[in-house]
Amino acid sequence: MGVCEIQGLTRDYGKGRGIFDLSFSINQGEVFGFLGPNGAGKTTTIRHLMGFLKPEKGYCTIGGKDCWRDRAEIQKNLGYIPGEMVFFDDMTGAEFLSFMAKYRRMKSDGRIKELLERFELDPRVKLKKMSKGMRQKVGIVAAFMHDPDVLILDEPTSGLDPLMQNRFVELILEEKARGKTILMSSHMFEEVERTCSRVAIIKNGRLVALDDVETLKAAQVKKYIITLEDENAAASFAGEGLQVHEISHNQVTVIVQNNLKELISVMNRYPVKNIITPNQSLEDIFMHYYGEDKS
Amino acid sequence: MINWTLYKRGIKGSWKMILIFAAVITMYFTVIISMFDPALGSVLDEFAKAMPELMAIVGMTPASAELVSFMEAYLYGFIMLVFPMVFCILSAHKLISRHVDRGSMTYLLSAPVRRETVAFTQMKVMVTGLFMLVLYATLLGIVDCEISFPSELDTGKFILLNVGVFCLQLFVGGICFLCSCIFDDSKYAVGVGAGIPALEFIIQMMANAGEKLEGAKYATFFTLFDSDGIIAGETGAIWGIVALFVGAIVLFAVAIAVFSKKDLHI
Repeated sequence: MGVCEIQGLTRDYGKGRGIFDLSFSINQGEVFGFLGPNGAGKTTTIRHLMGFLKPEKGYCTIGGKDCWRDRAEIQKNLGYIPGEMVFFDDMTGAEFLSFMAKYRRMKSDGRIKELLERFELDPRVKLKKMSKGMRQKVGIVAAFMHDPDVLILDEPTSGLDPLMQNRFVELILEEKARGKTILMSSHMFEEVERTCSRVAIIKNGRLVALDDVETLKAAQVKKYIITLEDENAAASFAGEGLQVHEISHNQVTVIVQNNLKELISVMNRYPVKNIITPNQSLEDIFMHYYGEDKS
Repeated sequence: MINWTLYKRGIKGSWKMILIFAAVITMYFTVIISMFDPALGSVLDEFAKAMPELMAIVGMTPASAELVSFMEAYLYGFIMLVFPMVFCILSAHKLISRHVDRGSMTYLLSAPVRRETVAFTQMKVMVTGLFMLVLYATLLGIVDCEISFPSELDTGKFILLNVGVFCLQLFVGGICFLCSCIFDDSKYAVGVGAGIPALEFIIQMMANAGEKLEGAKYATFFTLFDSDGIIAGETGAIWGIVALFVGAIVLFAVAIAVFSKKDLHI
């Protein structure tokens, strides 16, 4: 049995919104990615795990305890980063962290100092004057300060700059090595692929994929927009046997799935002027693949 | 059952509001007490005689020429009903539904503290504030009367009057707190939480106004606070206070149960 079990979890908000018959389990020492576009039901699922919402059907447990009934007990050993950081605005970061430590009845300040240094956060600033990134850092410190065994992280890197995102990934990997069990939600595959071993993807409240991160990597579909010299060159480039999504003027959009080498060898033979990767949503990357055989 | 860290934080967050209300009460008390004239009757009595209906609506009709009766009429018919009531409305909203509406409740519940404890602690914060206000009014009344009109005030009756007001406001606080626990949306929490006591108060004023609408007094809990009866030493008035106190406890218990069982979209 996993540390965190979700079994048949359902909450119907009507009009197809909500989560439906969701089941998965997270093992001890595992970093589990929870992926889905915005509005797919990630936060609703997490609210059930936190004991904020009572399941309409099904159940979820953490460490064998029921998430609704035993919620206060579970929180002793749980760290949480909410999707939205709302604090008591009249406090400074330091006041908030020390409030939370006392409120949690922690004997000492735990890891507060170490984590503040790691994320280079000056906590003496009032929370309402903090930037989004700073507030996110305060949230991270609050989630890890009591050194919990289970962590539930809802879009934990939002607002962080790339340097701090890296620091965060390092922290996750360290915690994983220390045997912590982590659920991390995100709407970006890149974020979870660096840390997670298994990933669940949900869409419209239903589980559409649950796989090893390696399997998902192989399944991902990437688009590249290649700019050539003129329309003729673009037309003949498109005729090279690559999977072409779109041609417009001198630009060809190709779809690559596991055959990047082929694309590179074709590009080598053409006077390519530019290559860009458009911003692809999670649905673009995976949904062709999963959308067909599951829905 | 109580989290002292949260309690301290709550008190720290309320004292400014308590001070403001205390200042308003101070102003009214000192001005109105100074109008009392044991020998001649007061300026306010002249008003009451000149426009009895209007003064009756706001509960200002003295039963006798005693100082305690004078204070009951001119301070405990309107001032001490309305201002602590507003304090309850603001305080109840600030302590529960505002946190749920904004999302800061998330942090209070992502800790090993039971929801019952959170709600009970916040209730204690509100009740403490209310108690401080009424206690302050009581002491202020006694001290001011003692300075201006030595040994004129029937202190025992005055204290009982304040116990009554405290129980009444506790009941009002119970309604506000229950609404704050029921509604996730600040709009409704304040709307209903303030609306019910305000409506009841208006009914009370209507009932005061004249004989035709006197029956309306059975439709408002303000009737249970029978300030004239308290001064007159009637047993019924004491039972009214007890009923308000018991009612308040029930309201708070229901509020805590509702908060503990409801779904929170935070």
